[in-house]
Amino acid sequence: MLETVAQAVINGLLIGGIYALVSIGVTLIFGVVKIVNFAQGEFVMIGMYVSYFLATYFGVDPIVSLLVSMPALFVIGVLVQHFLIRRVLGPNDMPQIFLTFALSLLLLNLALLLFTANYRTVHTSYSDEAFHFGGLYIPEAKLIAFVVAMALSGALWAFLRATDLGKAMRAAAQNRDVATLMGINPNRVFCVAFGAALALAGAAGSLLMPFYSAYPFVGQVFVLMAFVAVVLGTLGNVLGALVASLMMGIAESLGVQFVGADSGLIVVFAMLLLTLAFKPQGLGGGRMR
Amino acid sequence: MSRRRHKSVLDRESAPKPLLSKQHSRRRFLIKAGGALAAGAFGAVPLRGYAADPVNIGALYPTTGSMAQIGVGCVAAAKLAVEMINDAGGIKSLGGAKLNLIISDVQSDTTVTRTETDRLITGNKLSAIHGCFASALTLIASEVCERAKMPIITGSSSDQLNKGRKFTFTPFARASQFARAQLQMSKLVSDQPKVAVIFENTAFGTSTSNGLKELAPGEGVEIVMFEPYSAGFTDAGPLINKVKASGANALFSVSYLNDLILIVRTVKQVGLNVAINGGSGGFVIPDFYKNVGKLAEGLQGIAHWNHDMSPDCQKVNEAYKKITGDFLFEYAGGLVAQTFMLADALERAASADPQKVREALSTLDLSSGYAAMTPGGKVKFGPDGKNVYGRPVGVQWQNGDLASVFPQEDARAPLIKS
Repeated sequence: MLETVAQAVINGLLIGGIYALVSIGVTLIFGVVKIVNFAQGEFVMIGMYVSYFLATYFGVDPIVSLLVSMPALFVIGVLVQHFLIRRVLGPNDMPQIFLTFALSLLLLNLALLLFTANYRTVHTSYSDEAFHFGGLYIPEAKLIAFVVAMALSGALWAFLRATDLGKAMRAAAQNRDVATLMGINPNRVFCVAFGAALALAGAAGSLLMPFYSAYPFVGQVFVLMAFVAVVLGTLGNVLGALVASLMMGIAESLGVQFVGADSGLIVVFAMLLLTLAFKPQGLGGGRMR
Repeated sequence: MSRRRHKSVLDRESAPKPLLSKQHSRRRFLIKAGGALAAGAFGAVPLRGYAADPVNIGALYPTTGSMAQIGVGCVAAAKLAVEMINDAGGIKSLGGAKLNLIISDVQSDTTVTRTETDRLITGNKLSAIHGCFASALTLIASEVCERAKMPIITGSSSDQLNKGRKFTFTPFARASQFARAQLQMSKLVSDQPKVAVIFENTAFGTSTSNGLKELAPGEGVEIVMFEPYSAGFTDAGPLINKVKASGANALFSVSYLNDLILIVRTVKQVGLNVAINGGSGGFVIPDFYKNVGKLAEGLQGIAHWNHDMSPDCQKVNEAYKKITGDFLFEYAGGLVAQTFMLADALERAASADPQKVREALSTLDLSSGYAAMTPGGKVKFGPDGKNVYGRPVGVQWQNGDLASVFPQEDARAPLIKS
């Protein structure tokens, strides 16, 4: 029994690391640029295809292809912010919602057109292997993904704390007008924030590739969890999103184990509802970080 | 520096104003351009050519959307079958009339299937239709065909296709037969099979697994776990954790490709020793092996057709391989046989009239030739449109190929016990 619970927690924690990369991206964009990026899942999908094609045609290991997918997605993020998002920033939310939602649909259907609906997997030497100890197991590919995800989250955290640009981002997140008055160029900060968020999505895609299939709809699977995590961990709070993602991974895993394999998400959403009922600001206590 | 900063503040203040004029027109253009592109991409593509008075056969397959990969293979097989019949002189009783395939894309969507079937029947002078791979789509196409009195022949396995229908013909095994064969296969692996059944909580998953549950006691198979899951999960770990706790020695997974890949990989990672039976559909197509690789070796499945069953099957398989590079998979292979059944009916009806084709199909009785490429090698339709000799064939992945291993009469290779 104890072993089963321990294994369920391990499983949940590992997949929670991937949820964290996606949700941190969403929360970063929301915190800084103040828009909800509905297309975040599609950028995970792009990251997966980048890794898939690099692995298939050039034999690049998906984890190594992070070095390509992250910069590529960063550049895409800057371009999207500069040429699309910037133009709809204003007092009205509707154009922003439509824009990111349309972007999501466009990318999804473009992927269907270019790559077809086929499932594509990459097989690495560690894809099917696992570490065993005392009746428990940890899949290698997922462990690597988890460690890298945590390292990237930590790097972003340090970046926001320690660098001038990071501080400018947090300043813009806390109060855009005052930040502007203090000499911070909002568009530049927004571009970096959007780029960083998409780079994280790209990283999530590359890290997923050794153990998950790429297909055009794959982003939708992860973005739902990301949105829940972002709300649970307080909108705009990076640390909150990270903690909430890990919690959700564990809750889902325990839910599958003890409630039913078709109702693992019930536990997750129950958690969301209870949090919103008792702490409407989310677990982060409403503080933006 | 200060000027630029100032400008950016101004930009932000005035941003909402030009929103309407410039942006609007660009968006409109995109909408229109997108619409034009979409209109070109979809729609029926009639294949023209050949001499006077060809016999039109309608083909309904999902060549776009989520089932596209199988649909495209079906179309390739349908074209191959028509070519084989035409090259052999066409329908002799109709003066050597050639078959003309009219393909329609049902887009993996039930609503589109209804309109496309209607359009295909009203827009063309058809003699018969075959389609649509997925049972959910075939059920709708068959309803439309019944109303239009148009014979439809299909490899779809839903038992509902045989209820109250006069124009629907199903030459291959039914879903209920699949379940029984799967249970019997588990007895080949272990004398006391303890089966864990995991299935996606959709109509397909639920009906298939309920069939397994009902038949298990009669076959002497114990089901130790019976668990629905939500399709499209991110991690199979928790589910396999449960299978491990159940103490099962066989695992039946009623799943589509993506979930199945995760399940198979996780079973390997856990180091769980269970005989996996992946059922049919996405499990018995070349793509499964391409995705799963060596891990697929030894996995069992069930199919209504397999390419090694008879010399005729192997011959068609070789021809198909030359065109597509992959082996002829279950549904597409059955489709070649179906086309030859239609040709036999047309030959005997000596007419392209759908009513007469239906009569000829209902008296069809074959045990040789390409039309008899079925497990057991015999076709004869009962009053419910079911092949009275229909039965499934148990298969196993061996050396990257799908080998027939069950039942004894159809086995072309011994079952490998892992």
